[in-house]
Amino acid sequence: MSNIFKTKLNAATIVLIPACIGINYLGKLFAQFLKLPLWLDCIGTCIGAALGGPVIGGICGAVNNIIYGLTTGDNISLVYALTSLGIGIAVGITARLGFMETFPKSFVCALAGGLAAVIISTPLNVMFWGGTTGNVWGDALFAVTQANGMPVVVGSFLDELVVDVPDKILTVIIAFLILKGLPAKLKALYDVNAEIERLD
Amino acid sequence: MPIIKAEHLKYRYPNTEKLALNDISLEIEKGEFIGIAGRNGAGKSSLGQAINGLVPRFYNGAYGGRVEVNGRVVEETPVEEMCEFVGLIFQNPFNQLSGAAETVFNEVAYGLQNLGTEPEIILSRVEQVLKRLDIWQYRDRNPFELSGGQMQRVAIASILCMEPDIIILDEPTSQLDPQGTEEVFRVVDDLTETGITIIMIEQKLEKLAHYADRIILMSEGRVIDFDTPEKIFSRDDLSEYGIKAPAFTRICREYGLSLPDGTYPVKLEDTKRLFQEKNIRPLKEAETGSCLLNSKADDTEELFRMDNVDFYYTEGTPIFQKLSLTLNNRPTAIIGQNGAGKTTLVRLLKGLLKPVGGSIYFKNDDISKKTVAMLADKVGYVFQNPDDQIFKYNVLDETMFGPLNIGMSEEKAKEEALKALELMGLKGRENVNPYDLELYERKMTAIASVVAMDTDVIILDEPTIAQDYEGRKLIGDMIRHLSSEGKLVIAILHDMDFVEENFERVIVMAHGRILSEGSAEKVFSEDEVLSEAKLQKPYITALRELLGA
Amino acid sequence: MSALSLYVDKGSFLNKLHPYTKLLYVFAAILIPLIGGRLLIFPLTILFSLILLLTGRVFRRALPLVAFSFTLIIVIFLIQGLFYHKNENPLFNIRILTFYREGVIYAAGIALNILNMLLSFAVFVLTTAPQDLVEEMEKNGFSPKFGYVINSVFQIVPQMMKTRDTIVDAQRSRGMETEGSLFTRIRAFLPLISPVVMSALINTRERAIALEVRGFGRRNKRSYITDRKKSSADIVISIILAALILAVSVWRILSCLS
Repeated sequence: MSNIFKTKLNAATIVLIPACIGINYLGKLFAQFLKLPLWLDCIGTCIGAALGGPVIGGICGAVNNIIYGLTTGDNISLVYALTSLGIGIAVGITARLGFMETFPKSFVCALAGGLAAVIISTPLNVMFWGGTTGNVWGDALFAVTQANGMPVVVGSFLDELVVDVPDKILTVIIAFLILKGLPAKLKALYDVNAEIERLD
Repeated sequence: MPIIKAEHLKYRYPNTEKLALNDISLEIEKGEFIGIAGRNGAGKSSLGQAINGLVPRFYNGAYGGRVEVNGRVVEETPVEEMCEFVGLIFQNPFNQLSGAAETVFNEVAYGLQNLGTEPEIILSRVEQVLKRLDIWQYRDRNPFELSGGQMQRVAIASILCMEPDIIILDEPTSQLDPQGTEEVFRVVDDLTETGITIIMIEQKLEKLAHYADRIILMSEGRVIDFDTPEKIFSRDDLSEYGIKAPAFTRICREYGLSLPDGTYPVKLEDTKRLFQEKNIRPLKEAETGSCLLNSKADDTEELFRMDNVDFYYTEGTPIFQKLSLTLNNRPTAIIGQNGAGKTTLVRLLKGLLKPVGGSIYFKNDDISKKTVAMLADKVGYVFQNPDDQIFKYNVLDETMFGPLNIGMSEEKAKEEALKALELMGLKGRENVNPYDLELYERKMTAIASVVAMDTDVIILDEPTIAQDYEGRKLIGDMIRHLSSEGKLVIAILHDMDFVEENFERVIVMAHGRILSEGSAEKVFSEDEVLSEAKLQKPYITALRELLGA
Repeated sequence: MSALSLYVDKGSFLNKLHPYTKLLYVFAAILIPLIGGRLLIFPLTILFSLILLLTGRVFRRALPLVAFSFTLIIVIFLIQGLFYHKNENPLFNIRILTFYREGVIYAAGIALNILNMLLSFAVFVLTTAPQDLVEEMEKNGFSPKFGYVINSVFQIVPQMMKTRDTIVDAQRSRGMETEGSLFTRIRAFLPLISPVVMSALINTRERAIALEVRGFGRRNKRSYITDRKKSSADIVISIILAALILAVSVWRILSCLS
């Protein structure tokens, strides 16, 4: 079990991080280009987590939001670095436990990512913006819960749940499909247990 | 004592079965210039990387034998320590930028900073190296914004300033345009003067022969021969190893002019001397014209017509003004320096760009009114970088993606795909993951995936980049084959020898204008046009002229 | 378009300050109103950030950042104004919607906090080169490997973004539709994202090699070629900022005690 967090911090895994963050950006870019009603902005984090383990996944997520904050001047997304960190770790742990191996299994991984997002984001939403998320559908739901006198936390939780869980499930599925196509030669670079075998 | 000594070196990459390096023993002396020749996949890069320790320490896998460099056992030394003695420069200039620096100066300093060198020494060494490679003027530019040739020189500078004892150049010009190639070879010229030990892997054998003291000929992970360039390139069995002797050697062999020891010359000077001594003048264009025989191209049928086309990306800086051109189904090459407007032209033909003024007709239909998707089944376009399109899990599915999109039945698509794959030399690789293939094979996959769409027109953007002799031959055969089926093949090319051997019509472009067009023979005899377009003649044509043809 | 970073060197006073000093300003501007606990302190820090942005000649570049936050602010006003759980006293009506005093004040607090954070952060982001900050942090013991991660993102991500249009063109050339029903568009996502992901991951292998051959990951201490000493202005400003944070804290504690 101690193996789950084992991480190689060599050049190969380090350069994986900027590539994964680029993938996050491009996921978002293509989702906008195709006018999809989803964010799809953490595909790279999930790929990084599945290849490099939870530590690399967490770093991908956190650095992604920190850079996004630094580049758009939007320090709101800085706050959600915690969420991205959580998603990266959750996907990384479930992937190391083998839940990225087959298509049905990847739903467990997806669910873990989605739940991590909801659990971490909800208190942040409540603390910083009084419970809203900035997503139209989610916030409409939040408004309904508030109009009906439900507690802020419950409203915000539901708000986040309807927004994040479908998005993360699709994200992990896409990540799974991409990982399935990765060449064996490349995967070998990230194998934490690789050793040089002698031929003579 | 040799600076590099390999004994029974064996290596196998992880998750593979074949040995990439198979029982290699050799010794290289300090200050030698060693060339490595062989087809793509022969193990040349693996051998280079076994010298700086990437094999086996970076890739892992299975390793046998022993390599010593500068008295150190490579297998036991981390790459980050080996880098003080051995520098490596490889094909892709873009991937060699560290990504850590926002200026050329800092990019070049990056390695020395890692070594912990004193700041004053770093500053003076970087300045010195940048000036020597003639990139001092770009020191404050972002390295990612440079041209390929400039980037490659930055990569070389980054290695040089670390002052290694040995430099490995792994096809440093294979992904560059002619100008960039020229720039990099000028640097190599300069390096040979310094007496540093150089190991160069290269497909441009004229260049390799020019520099190398000795050449390692490799095939299937083994060293076939390790001798002087003259001995290696005079071998009769070179085609078995997928290479073609340098132009000098070929022409001397053609006229039976050999050196005293029975070998053929590999350098220009020796060739010239032999021709002068024997007072022989070579025939003009003896080797060209072969393609004309196979083609059933019909001069009359017009496929594309551009009438007074105007185009710009940003208003005020026109790319084309009143450009007119007709294309029929003769295989057509478009040549010219970067920025001449070649890619813009073919993108207009493909409908990816729309003309600002004038019209473009395909079989008398105005294509400016059609979408890219509507043209997809008529005009195929192979992008330069195969990695911009490949996404399927196996080569066959990738090749079938286009055909299925344009409405072919599953059966028909498979049939066309298999045919196209066979044409591109990928028979038997249908079920391989495209990304497990090397770049040159991925390029073939990308070409096949467009050929399979069975379009009337096929546009190829730089198909020969990263190909070896055999790959280029395969692409040449493909062009002839499609042409014989009555299809129009248009290709943007930098490789003049390839143009001369495979195309019936050549269009020379510069600054958004068509300077000249006609048969290869005609175009390559127009010295003024070529110099205005900053283009060089095909190697063999130039050589024949030089020898007095 | 060369970089992701919003930083521009205007040669201004703010450009010349040490990155840490500006970072301290961000902390101070965010913390002071929060510690102070009064809504009225926000306008002061916001105004001060605006003045800095103007004098640093980056005000115009800050505008899009602020504009970006307005939708969020409007949503907060709507939802809290209408439905805040402590709502009691109606403030005004728009048709059938009643906005409440408590909710509007609560929303105003959040909105001012957002604006204040954005603007103070803009002062930092628009005037500091990220590489400079990373290098200073590395000198203070931050891992060069992580320093590399942050720096390289700024260089590599824009290069990857550039491939977007090429990939769209390449796949459309093979007859793929990118418009139409939601199903068509969802189906187009994988052919668009996969090539760039694959090539990005494959390129990581070569880039890792490029780093290895240049001594990446050596255990010895890295050397640095730029020397950014803190100027006397840096020192004075840092002391003032620290003093202000301290003063507000003391004031808040005293006012709570009394």
